[in-house]
Amino acid sequence: MTDRPTVLVPIRVLEGESIPEGVPELLTHAHVVLLGYHVVPDQTATGQARMQYEDRATDRLEEFEEILAEAGATVETRLVFTHEGQKTINRMIIEHDCLAVLVPNATGPPEDVLVAVRGTVGLDRLVRLVGGLFGDTGVAVTLLHVAEEETDEDANTLLDGLVARLVETGIDDGSIDTRIVRDTRPQDAIADAATEYDAVVMGESDPSLATFVFGLRAEQVADQFLGPVLVVQREPPTETESPDDT
Amino acid sequence: MTNEDEPTDGSGKNIEGEAPETEPDADTEDVTVHDDVELERTIGLVGGLSIGIGTMIGAGIFVFPGLAAGNAGPAATLSFAIGGLIALLVALPASELATAMPRSGGGYFFVSRSMGTAYGAVVGLGLWLGLVFAAAFYLVGLGFYAAAVFAELGIGLPFDPVVVLGLLFGVALTALSIGGTENTAKIQNIVVGILLVILTLFLSYGSLDALGLFGRESVPGQFFSQGYFPVLSTAALVFTSYLGFAQVATVAGDIKRPSRNLPLAMVGSVLVVTVFYVLTIFVATSAFDALALERLGETAMVEVAREFVGLPGAVAILFAGLLATFSSANASILSASRTVYALSRDALLPRKASDINLRYGTPHVALLAAGGPILVLVGTGEVAVLAEVASFLHLIMYGLICVAVIVLRRRDPDWYEPSFQMPGFPALPAIGAVASFGLVAFMQLPSIAIGGGVMALSYVWYRYYAGSVELRGDF
Repeated sequence: MTDRPTVLVPIRVLEGESIPEGVPELLTHAHVVLLGYHVVPDQTATGQARMQYEDRATDRLEEFEEILAEAGATVETRLVFTHEGQKTINRMIIEHDCLAVLVPNATGPPEDVLVAVRGTVGLDRLVRLVGGLFGDTGVAVTLLHVAEEETDEDANTLLDGLVARLVETGIDDGSIDTRIVRDTRPQDAIADAATEYDAVVMGESDPSLATFVFGLRAEQVADQFLGPVLVVQREPPTETESPDDT
Repeated sequence: MTNEDEPTDGSGKNIEGEAPETEPDADTEDVTVHDDVELERTIGLVGGLSIGIGTMIGAGIFVFPGLAAGNAGPAATLSFAIGGLIALLVALPASELATAMPRSGGGYFFVSRSMGTAYGAVVGLGLWLGLVFAAAFYLVGLGFYAAAVFAELGIGLPFDPVVVLGLLFGVALTALSIGGTENTAKIQNIVVGILLVILTLFLSYGSLDALGLFGRESVPGQFFSQGYFPVLSTAALVFTSYLGFAQVATVAGDIKRPSRNLPLAMVGSVLVVTVFYVLTIFVATSAFDALALERLGETAMVEVAREFVGLPGAVAILFAGLLATFSSANASILSASRTVYALSRDALLPRKASDINLRYGTPHVALLAAGGPILVLVGTGEVAVLAEVASFLHLIMYGLICVAVIVLRRRDPDWYEPSFQMPGFPALPAIGAVASFGLVAFMQLPSIAIGGGVMALSYVWYRYYAGSVELRGDF
């Protein structure tokens, strides 16, 4: 077994969101950072929301923690009242050095997982996540690469290398499949292919689009796919300076 | 930076048996930590500056120039400079206190934790009502601008438009802040950005023109045309233009990297608006003489702009005036609501006052506690009295903020560890306190009477409602 990969599960704890069906099974081998957050409008002080909702939020979060822990995950929880969900999620990713963030949607018990492979960048983190979650579980993994300008040969080299590394982490050679798609927008290709799978693993998209909690591309895929999407996070920047002072 | 030194918890109970909420466990650059709960800090330096500047700039530029020039002549520039200096003398100790206690409630919080509940209650209730007076003043100003728009369009109204329009805007603003879930902070930033661009263009052109660069002969006028005393009484009147920096402190709990951003936002916004105010009066008094400005009244700047750049200038300033007074009124209503929350958290007002409604997630009781009295005051339409009472109540708080710094530095309790220390201690805070209290003496009698009445009532309320509540941190 590899180390448990750290996965952030953000839940809007007071707006009826809960741990969706199938997610606990998906995260059995993960170390889950369970973030319960509540976004209050600018007119309201966060402390004001805490006075009124702390007990309810804590109760629900404990309930969720139990569900995840029963399925096998190790869990730590954070409860945050905020004006900007985005900022809170980003902070959690950095503070806990999360490998991935889960877009929490319901699914069946995970049997087939689609892994979108972008290129060589960030492959280490992808291997750590996929190997950590699905190594020795018998879950089937399909690697999907959307080719742009490179030849099929190059794409195959990329995927074969990845297969070899995943096998090292304990995933059975026979349960890894590879697919190469061309001439479509990556998010369409991923969303189209995803319908046959129980969950999707993909990378973050353009970092400049900070208005999207999970990144634009991942958000679009999640909207079409309606199942859980694990968004692999980029290597955190090494400087300790706070990234946004605006 | 993590600051784990917090004032000790308040004790005692109010008449309804409610005790003050416990203090948080720690402040970091990103959050305030309460047991297992984190409160995210989400306003950066730009947001902080925009609260400060956005609250202040409406009054000083778009309402006061006519009144001030009428009272003091061209020396009104000096009145604004004096106001700015006093504001700066208070912004420094307020910054020091805010970095030691970056919590919602601002000046009220500092005074109650350093000097005890009685002072705290007078300042806190005074701050709430001071903001109510300020918001009413801005709304009347907004009414003048809206009425000027109708006049410009040549539409006659069958009623006195100023008060009616002010009331309408007051109702709309209160309803918007209760029912609106838009990102109000972002809108505020944009509004302030637009204002600063318009004003910078107008004032640069106006100043150069006034200095004779474009061949204008400026209106001759003696600098102290109305004598020396009106300079000070005008400073007292226009001090309402400098109330906004303290609003930054009322949302101190939301400010990211408080140890850096709070001092920069407070001192920075005072410096920025002081420069804009002084230039505005300079430009205005070079376009018209004092008496003409006084006749033009609240919307004098529109005529000044028309004098310099014709109709487009007048339209731009009309538009800017609407935006500025609207944003000032909006910011004051929100700050008043935060203050009500801070008081109710400390059991000085019923806990119910900070309730949040489930539908919009907004504090409707606190917002109504601001919006309701504001409408009553707008109904009076008394610009000068509203402005002075607002200034009076703030100046009392400002003076006590200066005293609070002296008290805390002298007693030096364990939990008092400001990361920003103001220069010139103890002389500067002492001068700040004397100047703040002193300025009150130059106000009109009715304003002093109303302000004093509010303070007395606040004290009586505290004795009646929360006499056994103790908020002062252990020394």
